[in-house]
Amino acid sequence: MGGMHGFGPVIRDPSERALDEPTFHESWEARTFGLAVATSAKGLRTGSSRPAIERIEPATYLASSYYGRWAQGVEAALVAGGTLTSEEIDLRAATVERRPTRSQATDPKLAAAIRGFLNRPVPTSGEPVAAAFDVGDRVTVRRMAPIGHHRCPRYVRGVTGTVERNNGGWPHPDADEPEAVYRVRFDMRDLWGDDAEPGALYIDLWERYLS
Amino acid sequence: MSDDHGDDRSIAQRVTAIESLLVEKGLITSDVVDAVVETYERDVGPLNGAKVVARAWVDEAYRGRLLDDGTQAIGELGFGGAEGEHLVVLENTPAVHNVVVCTLCSCYPWPVLGLPPRWYKSFAYRARMVREPRAVLAEFGTALDDDVEVRVWDSSAEVRYMVLPLRPDGADGLSADELVPLVTRDHMIGVVR
Repeated sequence: MGGMHGFGPVIRDPSERALDEPTFHESWEARTFGLAVATSAKGLRTGSSRPAIERIEPATYLASSYYGRWAQGVEAALVAGGTLTSEEIDLRAATVERRPTRSQATDPKLAAAIRGFLNRPVPTSGEPVAAAFDVGDRVTVRRMAPIGHHRCPRYVRGVTGTVERNNGGWPHPDADEPEAVYRVRFDMRDLWGDDAEPGALYIDLWERYLS
Repeated sequence: MSDDHGDDRSIAQRVTAIESLLVEKGLITSDVVDAVVETYERDVGPLNGAKVVARAWVDEAYRGRLLDDGTQAIGELGFGGAEGEHLVVLENTPAVHNVVVCTLCSCYPWPVLGLPPRWYKSFAYRARMVREPRAVLAEFGTALDDDVEVRVWDSSAEVRYMVLPLRPDGADGLSADELVPLVTRDHMIGVVR
């Protein structure tokens, strides 16, 4: 999305100004979010839902709401994981009541584990890994056109910036082994041209994206 | 607004169907889904971040630790977890204003701010904050002097960012508890100063 034109002003309604804004605006949004976390914890789907969201056909992506995209991502990942089929979801959706079936059974152990995973400090840091670049180095983001999930927005590709910090090693979504991640600072003019607003853009980039 | 969509009714039916099927097959239990929802409706939200900011405003040593290692210092107050494995706190100063966006999706520091508001996930915010931050900030009522450097942070990897706003004038002598209500989510994203 970074840099695209034509979306107009950022609109928010008055309820979104307060600390006590409702977390979810519709109950299905809450269930979508809860299902995304719960099905992942139960190993019912393959991969994270984010790549599945990014595989949504672009016109549909732009026409969908935020949790609408999550719902499509969760469904795709459950189908890909062999847990459900599209046909049975179609059939069930045609007859389903407003509220989902509630289970008589409970799983307090898993519920408690998930609460802990979401809401308990786990001090972690990047792992020490070999780093090709030092703080202060000028680096240029590689030009590329990756298919599928990536963590390198198009608007920084081909642009030169300065390494500000080494965040340590973190596994790239495509890999298991940690890889150096750098905080890179770009001048706004280098990103957007001579009539750019003054200022700087900071972004964290895996080493594979830099040269 | 651009995030309203007619198809949401059929999507709601599909989500309801999916949860019902998973329950009927015995693959998940409803209380586990409830636990996820309740965590963010009840336990984790921007009040956590406000407590971190207020503490940093009254406790110079804590402020130092917070800027040095956000994850660790935020963990001192009992906050942390998913999407907060590596937290970095960005300090506003009279000369620098920080603002956070995620252009790829919706990366956000859940343990201190909860789940992101709708506007943060809107196409307009994601597209424009990296290209014309002053124009977007003006739409939020935030006018910055020309000599203030704007730093935009695009969350794209594992670090999640939160802004430590300037302590408001006239707040001298207030306790951390009294300062908490002065801190809003907008301050900690950086759309207000």
